[in-house]
Amino acid sequence: MAARPPVLRILWTRFAWRHWRMAPVSSGLLLLILALGVAAFFSIRLANQAAVAGFENFTDLITAESDGLITAPVGTLPTSVLLDLRQLLGNTPVNLVPVLETSAVPPRRADTEGIGARPTLQILGLDLPALVNLAGQAYGSGGGLAGTPGGAGRRIGDQSAADVYISAALARRDGLTNGSILSLVINDRPAELRVAGVIPTPPGRPAAPASLLIMDLPDLQALTDKTGQLDRIEFVLEAGPHRAERWARIKAQLEAANSPTAPRWVVSSSAARRDAGLTMTRAFRLNLTILSLLALLVGLYLVFQGLQGAVVRRRSEIAILRSLGVTSGQIQGAWLVEAAVVGLAGGLLGLALGWLGAQLAVQTVGRTMHALYFGRAVEAAAFDFKEALLALTVAVAASTLAGWRPARLAANTPPAQIAARAGSASDPGGRWLNHPGFGLALLVAGGLLTTLPPVRMDGGGRLPVAAYAAALCWIFGAGVFAGQILSGLGRLIQWLKIESVPLRLACSHLRAPGGRHRLAVAGLVCAVGMTAGMAILVSSFDLTMRGWIARTFQADVYATSDGDQTASTINRIVPATWQSIAADPAVKQANVIQGGEIFINGVSTLLVGHDPRFYRDYSHPAWVSAPRDDAVFDAARNAELVLASESFCERFRLHRGDVVRVPIPGGDRPVTIAGVYADYGNERGSLLIERRQFTNWFGSQLAASVILALQPGEDPEALRAKLRLAHPGLGVYTSGFLRGEALRIFRQTFAVTYALELIGIIVAVAGLAFTMSSLLWERRNDLATLRALGLRRRELSAAAALEGGLLAVAGLVAGLLVSLALGWLLIFRINKQTFGWTLQTDLPGAQLLVLALLVLASATLAGWLAGRWATRLPAEREE
Amino acid sequence: MEPLTKTETSSQRADRSELVLTALDVTKSYAGRPVLRGVSLELHAGERLALTGPSGSGKSTLLNCLGGVDRADGGSIRFKNRALEALDGDGLTEVRRRDIGTIFQFFHLLPTLTAAENVELPLQLNGVAPAERAERVHALLKRVGVLGRAQALPGELSGGEMQRVAIARALAHRPAVLLADEPTGNLDSRNGAIILELLRELSDETGTALLLVTHSGAATHICHREIHLRDGLIAGVRDKDAD
Repeated sequence: MAARPPVLRILWTRFAWRHWRMAPVSSGLLLLILALGVAAFFSIRLANQAAVAGFENFTDLITAESDGLITAPVGTLPTSVLLDLRQLLGNTPVNLVPVLETSAVPPRRADTEGIGARPTLQILGLDLPALVNLAGQAYGSGGGLAGTPGGAGRRIGDQSAADVYISAALARRDGLTNGSILSLVINDRPAELRVAGVIPTPPGRPAAPASLLIMDLPDLQALTDKTGQLDRIEFVLEAGPHRAERWARIKAQLEAANSPTAPRWVVSSSAARRDAGLTMTRAFRLNLTILSLLALLVGLYLVFQGLQGAVVRRRSEIAILRSLGVTSGQIQGAWLVEAAVVGLAGGLLGLALGWLGAQLAVQTVGRTMHALYFGRAVEAAAFDFKEALLALTVAVAASTLAGWRPARLAANTPPAQIAARAGSASDPGGRWLNHPGFGLALLVAGGLLTTLPPVRMDGGGRLPVAAYAAALCWIFGAGVFAGQILSGLGRLIQWLKIESVPLRLACSHLRAPGGRHRLAVAGLVCAVGMTAGMAILVSSFDLTMRGWIARTFQADVYATSDGDQTASTINRIVPATWQSIAADPAVKQANVIQGGEIFINGVSTLLVGHDPRFYRDYSHPAWVSAPRDDAVFDAARNAELVLASESFCERFRLHRGDVVRVPIPGGDRPVTIAGVYADYGNERGSLLIERRQFTNWFGSQLAASVILALQPGEDPEALRAKLRLAHPGLGVYTSGFLRGEALRIFRQTFAVTYALELIGIIVAVAGLAFTMSSLLWERRNDLATLRALGLRRRELSAAAALEGGLLAVAGLVAGLLVSLALGWLLIFRINKQTFGWTLQTDLPGAQLLVLALLVLASATLAGWLAGRWATRLPAEREE
Repeated sequence: MEPLTKTETSSQRADRSELVLTALDVTKSYAGRPVLRGVSLELHAGERLALTGPSGSGKSTLLNCLGGVDRADGGSIRFKNRALEALDGDGLTEVRRRDIGTIFQFFHLLPTLTAAENVELPLQLNGVAPAERAERVHALLKRVGVLGRAQALPGELSGGEMQRVAIARALAHRPAVLLADEPTGNLDSRNGAIILELLRELSDETGTALLLVTHSGAATHICHREIHLRDGLIAGVRDKDAD
């Protein structure tokens, strides 16, 4: 008897593991539900990552990684800047890579195809002959664009007009080879491009995504009506030491040559450009992560309930082990190890489910993010080991934390001699859940937190941290109060003196509810509160969107480039096209919309040129702050007036009457916000100016879309068919179709929340089932006594079902009450602070009724099943 | 039974064997109600002592205090010259693990372990090498007559078989003292008699002291001495050797 015994190992292999093996169904369910929580967290993180991955500079894939770049302060750079830069930099060893970028989509397969149904492709226009030398640096000798499988192959600089280089992934996916014709829609025109070769993968770099195409710069300029224009010029320094210092010198030289009053370019480093996209969407991604953490939180509640129930059922076993000389510390350690192993197993299963879920979520998240922020194609979410490790760590750490209290409960179990004579196991959470004052303090703290502003992040994002904390306070506070409702319910039914033995038995346990009852109700309150709160938010959003869509889309026909798939599409309608549309005899009035991205104080937003009178007459805007007079609608008086969206004002903390400095070529222009309108189309915010002003400032006639009001008696559908025939590159929609599409996209965006709600309810009811089985296990001797007294099994099952049902009633009352507060919080704080959108409130009565009935029925069923199981338990026999 | 006048009647035994357990003026109350009101006793190696008395007399409480699973409010309990009141929780656990074997009325076999694994457990907890463990488990199960049921789970055993396994488990790590709380209370008279005889034989064979809490008159027959408790006090002592 010398060696130190491996007690933890013995406890795990001989006890915990065997219990798990002996109850495969309940063990499997517990792991599956935890895995669902982890999967939600992991899949949303992966989907987020995939959605922002498009921000990497695509040119990095073909050249060496660029060190920096210049862009125009607004709009595009003239090609002549290249010569100026070369002169400025003299013999400095640096390669200048001019880039023009556009998006394109495959032609629609059916005329009624929904918006966003086709993948968006990015086309980079590059000076291919100039890249020959540069590519040599990246690939070593013999580098160049290779031929597609089965093709002869082409080399850079050997291209002809309208040739395109595609990724190996696209070639594989669509079976394209050299000479294949690729049909696309660019701007408002269909284009046919000839596949000239495959973009190679430089050593040690990621392969080009399927969505990337490359063309020679002049070809793309011609195709997009941007002859002589560039989006940016990238700088690639020669390899060697002190690269960062060399770039810093060039950057300083470029900035020094710029005019402070009328800057010609904006210099930035490549890393900063990459970060810009990530920064812009950080708040959105954080919000999604928090939502996914809620799923994990409810999963952990179940781990807590599961382990707590296991402690109750194994109490005799623990007591015997204590009698045999196992210390309380070793017992506690073993239970913590068990909790950690549950977390690990659930986490691993969650990673597999999460990866599958990410493939589905990436489409939804990507679409939403791109509709709100930027346009890039997202195809699939790659498995990321760092994210997997993070999800696994969160699962294990949180599961161990959830197991802390059950482990303490297990450790405090006395040895068998005492346990056999003592009453029931100690009451979990009994002390703090039994204090209405504690609940009240939480509710008050939540109320105070709602008055705090959101945390403002770089890039204009806002994170409502205090509002989330308020939600937690309210949920937990209501959970504490639910115990009082439970006891009141028990007393009320007793007072009613209903002659039903099962009901009296059920109420006898609820009059002075123990910690286990209170905890189960608190879990239900949490799930019902969050689910109903989200339902109120979604319903309010739905009502608001329907109203906004109905008001906004009041014109008859809408035309955009058929490649227009997102809010920030690069595709435009050329003047000849929109002028011919506007001149159609069926058209009474046309509103030509121009627009583009601008940066105010380094934060991205949209500047839109439009016809304010058309907007007033055919959109019936929902005013947050209506204009004080008609000046903004009067072309003679609105030169320095703008309409700002609510998101814009929230983002830049501006109000009606404030002055904004809008960056335009040659300097800034001060404009005054004449009115603020509600807009649920994008989160970045928009400024609306008279189109004439936009054209004057930017010198561009390219239109983003054209909105048409028809002559009386004209059929919108007929005009739509006519325009589609005349302009196959246009997407032409009637207002009815567009309204339906807008609602469809909106509802698709919220699909993920329904899944999270369902997980919440399943977990809460499963938690209640665990609780009921633990309670009945503790009462097995009482049940045997009741059987001896003549109660039938079905009467005992009915008593358990009633107990479960009454627990659900208490949970529903408190949960629905807190959901009203949470609904308010989500609508007027979290949503407003995150997106800057004001919503109308709607209470989805039918939905809440269905939810209540569902929870009540499931809880009663769970109680009945637990009762049936318990009536078959032998008294005083161990598990 | 005579009233207690001379607990020293066992002094002859004290002369011939080692003193393993001493209780001196032990008191214990629950919720202000005194359960033990100053109990003193001694237990020697190889001695079998019966604790009898009506329900609520304090037998089980005394057993718990002597076994280190509960703490006395007053007085002193010395186990092999170590004062239990000076030990912390882990210290008491260590004493239970190494020096005490316990037999329960309701057997308390661990339901997920086979009969052999139940017996093996105290040996594992004490760090006994696997080969020696296997040897000792085999020998003990054979000795208590359930070797053929070694791989059975407790749920598959009869009451008598379960108590035999529990005895084997209690003796596996060769404790100095065996505490038995109503070991025949849940068995029929035939099985009860067999178990008592087994306890007597094993105590003699191993030299383990036995402290037996019982209501059963038959159980006291295997003991050298009997202490009768009433209202938390020793009401009488009978020295069987002296009879």
